[in-house]
Amino acid sequence: MENQEQHASAADVLTQAIANKLDYLSTLQAAVQHGDDRKVYELLDQARYSEEVKKTRAKRSVDHLAELVDNIHPQISHYLSDKLIDYLGHIYPFFYYEEYTTGRFHIYFGNWWDRRLFGELDVVDVRFQFDQGEYDKLRTSFELEGRHQRLNTAKIEAISAESEQLQKLMDAQSVRDNEKTKLREQLKENSQKSSMPWESGKIKDERQGIIDQLTKLADEDEQALNAHKTIKANDDKILVLSKEDTILNYEKQSIRDAFDDFEHFEAHNQSLYADYLNSLVGQGQSEGEVNVDD
Amino acid sequence: MINENDPSTLTTSGRLLNYNEAIKAGLQTGLKFTQLMDQLIKTSDPDKLVAAATQLADFQLDSDFVTFPHQYTNADYYLLFMSRMLELHDQGNQVILQSHDHHEELTQELTPLGDRGTFNFRVETSENGGVFYRERATGQSLFYLNLERKMFRFNSHALTQLFIIDLHDTVPAETVKTSVQILVDFARYLKEDYGYSVDFNILDAANRQNYQVHSADLPAGVVDRLFVSAAKNDYMLTNGANGNGARIALDKDVVVDIFNNQLEGQPEWVLTVHDNEQKISWFDVLLKYPFIRDWYLENLMDLEIVSDPLIFG
Repeated sequence: MENQEQHASAADVLTQAIANKLDYLSTLQAAVQHGDDRKVYELLDQARYSEEVKKTRAKRSVDHLAELVDNIHPQISHYLSDKLIDYLGHIYPFFYYEEYTTGRFHIYFGNWWDRRLFGELDVVDVRFQFDQGEYDKLRTSFELEGRHQRLNTAKIEAISAESEQLQKLMDAQSVRDNEKTKLREQLKENSQKSSMPWESGKIKDERQGIIDQLTKLADEDEQALNAHKTIKANDDKILVLSKEDTILNYEKQSIRDAFDDFEHFEAHNQSLYADYLNSLVGQGQSEGEVNVDD
Repeated sequence: MINENDPSTLTTSGRLLNYNEAIKAGLQTGLKFTQLMDQLIKTSDPDKLVAAATQLADFQLDSDFVTFPHQYTNADYYLLFMSRMLELHDQGNQVILQSHDHHEELTQELTPLGDRGTFNFRVETSENGGVFYRERATGQSLFYLNLERKMFRFNSHALTQLFIIDLHDTVPAETVKTSVQILVDFARYLKEDYGYSVDFNILDAANRQNYQVHSADLPAGVVDRLFVSAAKNDYMLTNGANGNGARIALDKDVVVDIFNNQLEGQPEWVLTVHDNEQKISWFDVLLKYPFIRDWYLENLMDLEIVSDPLIFG
């Protein structure tokens, strides 16, 4: 008897558990059917929703119901992206999204030539996942702005200085040639000097001095010989660096236009989830189809 | 006809008769020539004008028995033809034909350009035939014309060298523009009135015109350089349509695209210039925007717009 009761209650418990899941799924289904994205987000992460949107202390959800749809996240993300990207388009007009596979989105910064791939958009979590390297460059470049510098200013200056130095070396070829002729003359004179034993040390030193100078000039000649190639290579390096600076400049300008400064931009990113869901409150179901023109 | 190798076949009177016939034929040729000259100089019928020019283009005035010591060259008839053609379109005052006192030779000036350029035609001696319209001081051949084959080809290289480089510092852009427009009009009349095949090349203002650049597989660095220099001049080089190549919106509605026109197979990078009225050519862009001009000239090895390789190869 006891066993049967236990069995019955076990069945009840299970039935209830299944009912909860069915209920969860049908609520989710209804939300999708009604285009109620806010509800969908709530169902996907009730704890976060309570905490960040309702600002109530979160009941730690133990039912793990949201895990039921883990394996259809790509479809969910694909579905939710329409309205989210439409919203983001207003707040972050400089980001462009490309769905490279169902439900996954690359973020491009700007629409300028060779804009950077800046990370991914996590639609389900309403979060940007920026590429750390690219993001750091942007942050640094904001920091440098205070000193009226761009990210690559120092590098470009160093390379330009080298090119300038090389150009001087090339230009001074005739000066060196004259110098060499003179030195060779001196060398000849030196070797013809009578070498009295008490003078030999001095003559030897003088000779060594001339040879050292000639060697130095020969080294410079060689550098000058390769200078043209190096200057060309330097130009290419400078181009890459200037291009990066130009891109960063556009990025900074975009952020300033939309957020005034980098700090406000970061703050907006932090509160994106709550801001977005709050914007959905109240509009929810009745909106019907939303035109997304991305 | 006289058979000089075999004089025994001829009687004296026969010989004289032959001689007389040859002179008559030579004079007839001369008469025909004067008729064509009359026609070229006086006719107001464009068809007759073209017909006269075409025949004079390779007219042989001298014969074995009759030669004319004072002659213009065939190339001069082309200059005359060009002047007359413009005249018939009420643009006769846009070129000045100059004859010289002591020898029969014509040269031409474009009225807006004045003595900054002196032009004539040079006869192409290869079997291609035709003539090149040449600025005499620089030797730049701005276009090629073949009346027989009804062909007209502008030469991007020469136009760039003469107008974008050589005359850039001393002749205002507006003057260059009106001068070049005369050449364009001349070509246009040939195209519209006589169905000539005309390649306007960098002067073509039609939006559909693809200006093919010299390096079919354009190095990315070339576009990067435009990007950097555009930014310095407050223009933005953006991604091209569908992520192919780049685009820059210049003032008003002028948009320049640079992209690969052959996404499959061998690349073929081209430039295009779009404007609502289809009045702006790549040449105009070079005249108007110094930073684009600098970029084009600095990368001319890669960017120079290709002219008809059969003519300017």
